[in-house]
Amino acid sequence: MASLKQRTNPESTMPFHKTMKHHISRVAQLLSLAVFAASASALGPTRAATLDLDVPAAEREQKLIALIKSDAQPAEKALALKQLAICGTADAVPALAGFLGSEEFSTWARIALEVIPGPAPDEALRAALTTVQGRPLIGVISSIGVRRDLKAAYPLITKLRHPDAQVVSAAAIALGHIGGDSAARALEISLAETSGATRSAIAEGCILCAERWLAEGQAAKAMALYDTVRKADVPQRRVAEATRGAILARGSDGTALLLEQLRSPDKALYSIGLRAARELPGTQVTEALASAVKQLAPDRQWRVLLALADRHDAAVLPAVKAFAKDAPAELRVTALNVLEHVGDTSCIPLLIEAATVDDRAVAQAAKASLASLHTGNVDAELLRLLPQAAGKQRQVLVEAASARRIESAIPSVLRYATDADAGLRKAAFEALAALGGPKEMGAVVDLLKSATAQDRDALEQALLAISGRSGAAAAPTLMPLAGHSDPSLRAVGLHALAAVGGPEALAAVIKAVDDQEPSVQDDAVRTLSTWPNNWPDDNGVAEPLLALAKSGRKPMHQALGLRGYLQYLQGIKHIGNDEKLAKVRETMPLMKSSDQKQLAAAVLGAIPAPGAIDMLVGFAGDADTAEAACSALTALAVKDAPEFTKDQRRKALQIVLEKSKSDGTRKRAGEALKKIQ
Amino acid sequence: MSAIDNQMNRRRFLKRTFPVGAMLLAPQIVAPSVLGKGGGVAPSERVVLGGIGIGGRGSYVLGCFLQEPDVRFVAVAEVKAQRRQAVKQMADTRYGNTDCATYRDLRELLARNDIDAVLIATGPNWHAAASMLAARAGKDVYCEKPCAKTIMDSLALADTFRRTGRVFQAGTQRRSLPNFAYAVDLARRGRLGKLKTLHAHPAGLETKMSGWLPAETEPPKEEVDWDLYLGPAAWRPFNRRLLDGFNFEKGGGMVGGGCLEWGSHCVDLCQWANDADDTSPIEYERKGDRLHARYANGVELVVRNDGWLPLGSCPVRFEGETGWVETGDNGDLVASDDALLAGKGVRISGYPADFHVRNFLDCVKTRGQPRANAEVACWSHITCNAANIALFLDRKVQYDPKKNEFINDEEANRLRGEAWREPWQA
Repeated sequence: MASLKQRTNPESTMPFHKTMKHHISRVAQLLSLAVFAASASALGPTRAATLDLDVPAAEREQKLIALIKSDAQPAEKALALKQLAICGTADAVPALAGFLGSEEFSTWARIALEVIPGPAPDEALRAALTTVQGRPLIGVISSIGVRRDLKAAYPLITKLRHPDAQVVSAAAIALGHIGGDSAARALEISLAETSGATRSAIAEGCILCAERWLAEGQAAKAMALYDTVRKADVPQRRVAEATRGAILARGSDGTALLLEQLRSPDKALYSIGLRAARELPGTQVTEALASAVKQLAPDRQWRVLLALADRHDAAVLPAVKAFAKDAPAELRVTALNVLEHVGDTSCIPLLIEAATVDDRAVAQAAKASLASLHTGNVDAELLRLLPQAAGKQRQVLVEAASARRIESAIPSVLRYATDADAGLRKAAFEALAALGGPKEMGAVVDLLKSATAQDRDALEQALLAISGRSGAAAAPTLMPLAGHSDPSLRAVGLHALAAVGGPEALAAVIKAVDDQEPSVQDDAVRTLSTWPNNWPDDNGVAEPLLALAKSGRKPMHQALGLRGYLQYLQGIKHIGNDEKLAKVRETMPLMKSSDQKQLAAAVLGAIPAPGAIDMLVGFAGDADTAEAACSALTALAVKDAPEFTKDQRRKALQIVLEKSKSDGTRKRAGEALKKIQ
Repeated sequence: MSAIDNQMNRRRFLKRTFPVGAMLLAPQIVAPSVLGKGGGVAPSERVVLGGIGIGGRGSYVLGCFLQEPDVRFVAVAEVKAQRRQAVKQMADTRYGNTDCATYRDLRELLARNDIDAVLIATGPNWHAAASMLAARAGKDVYCEKPCAKTIMDSLALADTFRRTGRVFQAGTQRRSLPNFAYAVDLARRGRLGKLKTLHAHPAGLETKMSGWLPAETEPPKEEVDWDLYLGPAAWRPFNRRLLDGFNFEKGGGMVGGGCLEWGSHCVDLCQWANDADDTSPIEYERKGDRLHARYANGVELVVRNDGWLPLGSCPVRFEGETGWVETGDNGDLVASDDALLAGKGVRISGYPADFHVRNFLDCVKTRGQPRANAEVACWSHITCNAANIALFLDRKVQYDPKKNEFINDEEANRLRGEAWREPWQA
C-alpha cells in the first residue's frame, strides 16, 4: 500500500493523465481568458497592453477610453468597454455612458458601469433614464437596480406609469431591489391602481421590498407589505410567495397562518406551506406542526411529517418518535424512515420493537433505519443488546449487525447460528457471509458438517463469501471438508477451494477429478473448467485441463476440459504468440463440435501470427464456424500489426467479404480493405 | 499488469462487491400513496414537465425523466428549429401521440399554468437566467451545470429560489451516486481522521471561451433565434460557430472557464465532503498549475489536473490525518486502507443522472430540498467563480463568505458580477 500511496501522492511528479500546459505567458493567458480569444491573433500591440494587468490601472484606463472613442472595430470596442470594469474610474464614465443607448453596446458598457465605484455611474445611469429609449432603457433600469441607487427611486417611480409594460416591470423590480419607504409606498399604490400584465412584476417589487425589510429587522413593515400582496388580485404564485414571507415575518405568531396553508385546498398555498414549515424557526412551531399532523388528510400527513423532520430543533425527535411508535401505517413508516436521519441511540429500542411487527412495511422501515442510524454510538449499543436479546429481537439485531458491518458481533452471531429458531439461524448465516474472515472459516465448516439440508445452502453461501475474502492461505482449513465422507460436502469444499485459489486448492480439486463418487468428479471437472487463470499462482490448471480434454472419463469431462483449456489460452499473457498458436493447434484433433471450433476461432482472433490466419481461413470454409472465423479474421486483419504483411491482411479480409453473412463484419472488413488498397 | 490492475482482479472485485452494505444515499422518502392502484400514478402525483434548450446533454437527461412513470413531458422551448423538432419527436415517440408542444421563446412555455417543472439544458450562458425566470413563473427547476457564471448570479439564484419557494436541483448528478457519496461520508464522519486536504479535478483551469466572431448572415428567427440564443449575454453578431451552446460564453463573464465547467461537479463534491455547503473557502491562490484554496476550518482545497489514479473522469480525493480516499467516474473507490471501504454501496460507473432526477421528482412532491439544491449550488459556484477570479488576477485573494465580498480587494470585487443584456433582469 505504501508504494500505491507513493504513486498516488498528488505531489508526485509522475503524471497519470495529461498535464496542463506550463508557463503560459501572462499576456497570452489573459487573452485566452478574455471574451475575444477567438480573434486574439488579430490583436495589435495597443490592445494587448490594455489586457495586461501588470500595466498600471490608470494607464490601462486611458488607453481603453481612447479605444472606445476611436473608430476601432466593434469587437475591439466591446472588449475595451468590458475591460473598463476592472480599471475604470469616474474618468471613464462619460465615455461609457455614451454607449447606453446602443442596442449592440449598452450591455458591454453597463458591465463596467455596474461595478465602477462612486457616484459618477449612478448619475450617468439616472441621466440615461430620460434620454435612452426602447430596450436599452430596460437595461439602464436594471443596472440602477443592481447598484441600488436610492436617488433613482423617484425617477423610477415615474416609470411605473410608462406605456411600455416591460419598462414598468423592470422599474418595479429595480425599485424592489432598491427598497425603502418611498419605493415600497409607490409600489403599493401602483399595485392598487394598475391592472394587466404588470401586476405580477409590481407584486414582485413589493415582495423584494418586504424581504429587505425583514432582513433588516423591520418585521412589522415587512409583514404589512406581504399581507397587502397576498390579499391583492395578483397571480397565485405571487400570493404564495407573499404568504411565505408573511408567515416568516410573523415569527412564531405565524404558526396559525402556516397551518392554514397546510390545510388549504389550493395547491400553490399548500406547497408554500410545506416550504415555510421547514423555515419558520422555534420549538413551539414544531410542536404545533406535530399536533396538526393527525388532523390532516392522510396524503398530507406524511408530507408534513417530512417537513417537520427537516427542522432543526429539540422538539423534532420526540415528535417523530411518537409517530414512529404509534400512527397510521403510512405515517408510521415515514416516521421510521425519518429516524434514520434525525434519530440517535435513544431510538434503538423503538426501532427494534417496530422491526418485529407483522406489518411488513413497518418492519422493513425500522430495519432500514437501524442499518443506517448514525448519531451517537449506535454500534456499541447494538453490541450491548445483542447477547441479551430474546425472541424475534435477536434476529433483528443480527441483521442490523450484519448490515452495519459490526465485526465484533461475530461471537454472538456464531452462537445464534445453532439456535433452534430457523429464521435466526438464517440471519446468522447471512451475517457470517457479510462479516466472517479466515478466523471464522473453521467454525463455518463445522456448522456445515452438522447442518440440516435446510441450512446447507445458506451456509455454503457464507463459506464461499468468506473464502473469496480469505485468499490461498485459507486452503488448509477447507481440506477436511474437501475430504469429507459425505459427497455433497466434498463438493461444497471444492467450490470453496475455487474461491480461495492457489496451488494447494488447485491440487485438491485436481485430485477430486478421480473421486470415487461420480457426482463429485463432475463437480471437480466443472470447477476446474472455470478456474480463474489471471492469478499467476494458478497457471497449473492448464495441464490437467488438457489431460481432461484428451482423456476425460466422460465425454462431458472432455468437453469441459477442452473448453476450460481454450478459455485458459484466451486469457494467459505470459507465453508468446507462436507457443499459444501451437497449443491451440494441439487441441484441433480433440474438437468434436462447432461450439468448440467457434471458441478456438475466438482464441485465434487474439493471436497476431500468420499461422492464426491460416487456421482461421480453414474454419471459414466450414459453414458452422465461418462466421466466428470471419469475425476473428477481421479482428486480426483490420490492424496494421507488424506480424502481418499487407498481402496477408488483404487476403484475410477478402475471405471475410466472401464468406461472412454479417453486414457488420463485412462492413468493417470492407473499410479496412479500402485502407490497405 | 500494474499494481493497481492487480488489485482490481476478479477475486478482489468479488470481495469488494459482496455484499452490499447499508445505503448511504437514502432515497427521498415518499409514501406508497403517491402511487395509484396497480402501480399506476395517481393524477395528482404526476409531474408535468417542460424542457428548455434541449440538445445533446439535455436529451440524455430528458431520457432519464421520460423513463419515470410519474412524469409527463408536454412541451419544449428551443431557439433552434431542428432541436425543437427532435425533442418533440422524442416525447411523441415515448407517449405514442403528437401532443408535445413546441415554442421558440421560453417565456411562452413558462406562461403555461399546467407545467409544474422544467428541465433546463441550454448553454451555460442561459442557465441562471432561465432558472430564475422559471422560478418566478412558479416552476420547479432541474438545471444543467454550471448554473451561474458569476458570484452575483450564484447568490441571485439562491435568493430567488428561497423567495419563491420553488425546488431547484443542479445537474451535478454525482451527488446522487454511491461511490462519491461513500467517499464524502468517510470524510464527513471523521473516518479519515481530521480532514486536511481535498483534491478536485477540474479538467482544465484555463478558459476556452468563444466570443465575437465575424458577422454572418443571420438565419430566420424560426430557424435560429439569435437574439434569444444570446439571452442575457452581451450582444455580438451572428456567427454559426457560436451556436455550439456548450462553449458559448462558457463560464461566461470576464473570467469563467474550466474551473467552473467541471468544478461545479468536483469542487462541489469537495464542498460536500468538508460539510461546507453553506460557505466557501476564504483564500485562493494559484500555485504553479494548481489552484489552492483554504476554508475557515483550515481544510485546503487543491484544484489540479495531474497525479490522479486511473479512476475515470471527474475524480476527487479526500485526505485526512489518518487516511485518504479517491474515487472517480468509473465507480471504483481506492482508500489508504481497505477497511475503510467495507460496507460501500454498489458500484455504478458512467455517472448516470437517473438517481439525481428521481431525487428531484421526489422533492417536487414533498417540497423538500434536493441534494444539489439552490443553496448548495450557490456555494459551490461561488467557490469556482472565486477560484477563477484568483486565476485571472494571478494573485492571492481573500473572500468573506458572510459578506460575500473579497477583502480589501476592489479589483476582485468588480469581477463578482456582470450585467445582463436587456430585457433580461436578474
